[in-house]
Amino acid sequence: MLSDSEAKELLSFLHLDTRADVRGQATEYILGLTGTRDGCRYLQTQPGFLKALITLTADSSIAIVKDCYHALINLSADETLHETLIKEADILPMLFRNLLDPEYVFADRICTILTNLTRHERTCREVFRVMQEQDVGLAKVVEIFCIEGFNKKALLHYLGPLLSNLTQLPESRHFLLDKERCVVQRLLPFTQYEGSVTRRGGVVGTLRNCCFDYMYHEWLLSDAVDILPFLLLPLAGPEELSEEENEGLPVDLQYLPEDKTREEDPDIRKMLIETLLLLTATKVGRQIMKEKNVYPIMREFHKWEKEPQVLIGDEPEAGMENLMEVEIPQDVEQQLKDLDTKEQEQVEKETLLLLRQEAEKEVVEQPNMQNPEGLER
Amino acid sequence: MASPTQGEDSDDGMDEFMEKFKTHKYKNAFNESNWEEEFDKVPMFMKTAPEDIDPVKHPDLACLQSIIHDDERPPEEQAKSLKDEGNEYFKEKNYTKAIVSYTAGLKKNCSDSDLSAILYTNRAAAHFHLGNLRSALNDSISARKVKPCHLKAIIRGAQCCMELRNYAAALQWCDEGLKLLPTDKKLLELRSTADKRRRAAERDARKSKAKEKKKQTERGTLLAAIKERGIRLLQPKQPQHRGSDSEEDGSDDGTTAAMAELYLDGLDSQEATGAQVYLDEQGALHWPVLFLYPEHRQTDFVSAFCENSSFIDHLAVMFGEELPPWDTERKYHPQHLQVFFEDHETQHLYEVDVGTSLLKILQLPCCCVQAGTPSFIVLVKGSPFCEQYFSNKKVRLLLLKPLC
Repeated sequence: MLSDSEAKELLSFLHLDTRADVRGQATEYILGLTGTRDGCRYLQTQPGFLKALITLTADSSIAIVKDCYHALINLSADETLHETLIKEADILPMLFRNLLDPEYVFADRICTILTNLTRHERTCREVFRVMQEQDVGLAKVVEIFCIEGFNKKALLHYLGPLLSNLTQLPESRHFLLDKERCVVQRLLPFTQYEGSVTRRGGVVGTLRNCCFDYMYHEWLLSDAVDILPFLLLPLAGPEELSEEENEGLPVDLQYLPEDKTREEDPDIRKMLIETLLLLTATKVGRQIMKEKNVYPIMREFHKWEKEPQVLIGDEPEAGMENLMEVEIPQDVEQQLKDLDTKEQEQVEKETLLLLRQEAEKEVVEQPNMQNPEGLER
Repeated sequence: MASPTQGEDSDDGMDEFMEKFKTHKYKNAFNESNWEEEFDKVPMFMKTAPEDIDPVKHPDLACLQSIIHDDERPPEEQAKSLKDEGNEYFKEKNYTKAIVSYTAGLKKNCSDSDLSAILYTNRAAAHFHLGNLRSALNDSISARKVKPCHLKAIIRGAQCCMELRNYAAALQWCDEGLKLLPTDKKLLELRSTADKRRRAAERDARKSKAKEKKKQTERGTLLAAIKERGIRLLQPKQPQHRGSDSEEDGSDDGTTAAMAELYLDGLDSQEATGAQVYLDEQGALHWPVLFLYPEHRQTDFVSAFCENSSFIDHLAVMFGEELPPWDTERKYHPQHLQVFFEDHETQHLYEVDVGTSLLKILQLPCCCVQAGTPSFIVLVKGSPFCEQYFSNKKVRLLLLKPLC
């Protein structure tokens, strides 16, 4: 890499008052370094460069600002850089200040950096702590995420994955699921947001993570939140149901028009199914879901779904052979004996859902996180 | 002033005053018979404020009121007094008077924005309770203009929107309020209700759209079935409100299925019975059919005449067991009846073979269905009325019979 004297010289060029072309070339050089893993690792030892990059995001030349953000995004994609970025380079205040600015042109890049920084739990916790400290707070993030056109120059879709990452922390989930406020309710309509798969996926991921807290299930399924229709709408299709079936469904799922389309991204569909599965973990949750009478929706969805890994498989997948070893609870066994065939099929399906979920609990303790984002290097 | 006696507490002459009664009788006492009335005139003992305060009858009350409405005082004070007055009326549920007071208070144009906000908000509440939702909403908006963080105004605004069924606006009001106070229970509740009602309204819209679509499809199938059979539909003579401007009759070849659609509507039927032709599960049409008995100026209405049934099937039932009361000569026996179709264009009468099915008759080229209801004339064979009737019409006694 660079020698100490070279590094010192380069650093001296990275000032706001240096000649523009020199500044520009120096920045480009740093950007080039961030394009390789070795380059990133080297920069990790040189917090001065990181600080310079952060300062230069205020540069008058748009081209330089773009390069700075590009470099910061690349750096944030590498976990080894996280502590340096946050502690020594103190990147967070700048990020938050600009994120909340409705006129800030580069807000989308900030979202990407924050998403990268919150991928892993340790840094995520640190980011969340600073967020709450700096009065930015999760409330503000949800607010600007939900306001249509908050920032005319930036779409802020990547706040979705950011929220999803943040909800790996129980403290952030507790905030989102605050019964005394209206927070999670604001996110629900976005499960059908057509304008961005990133935003949609982020919201579904957030809801999925929130459903890991069983104690909130009853509240989530109640009228206070009413999460169920928003999870099912992306899975519901244009197929015509009988009047009887329609009248039995939750209001939002009744009489869907013939041009209704389903969620096109299979990963999001999978997350939705997983979330629904999570909601069957408690007895009261199962009861409520049964009462809501959503079987026709799932029935039509099953007929439609082509991707094998999305469907609730009848064959246990690799690593889930213990599925068959889990005992069927006694009351369920009794029910199976008493019911007629059609209902029996349904109960069997539900049992499989429960068993699969039980098995999943052992395999995956942690909520899922979004993949790191890096622009082309 | 009497000089105080040593050793006594009083220095206001009270004791001396009381002393007098030992010797003098009290004058100007209330009369035993009307003391209650008199009491009621004393402002302090009035139970309710009189409607109009007459300065002659109630000088004291008029005096009090003039203190309230004294134009000498600064506008803030006057406005505040008017607000208090309005609040009193509000408590008594006298909303109209309350509005008058609040309005007067607002007219003072005082600089205290808090007070103005309260006046607007209170007036909004009074309007709300009177059902003047638009006025209430406008006042809530005014209150917010004066004081954007006035939570009561925001709540009132949201409530107005709810009553006006503008749920999207109600949600917006709630959210603005929640920005100020995220944990306000009233706002959270309102928001939840607004959201629920909005979603229910969306469902209702989807439902009626689905029903409408189904109706259209069914209509289309029906019209197709009629067209397929080669049955012609005629426009009734009366002008239509919906759709067509043209007045041609006999637009019968189905070029404008939409126009034909109008003619099927039971509402357009001259009989206004609401009965309409329909297609059953086996694919057979059932028509509402009118039988006319010109001899006695009577009619019979069959609401669902299956196209595959014949006329005699129905006549046997209608005139089988009992003859109708208007048949004074007791001659309308099924076997003596003649059925005719009148072509209104040509004014020709065509005799119908009663053994034929309705379908076969309707399919004949000279037949067309007017106002969605086929009608047939019934006479008694060889009766004197018959002869008379025929003499007025151009009778083409062509027996309508299928060719096979």
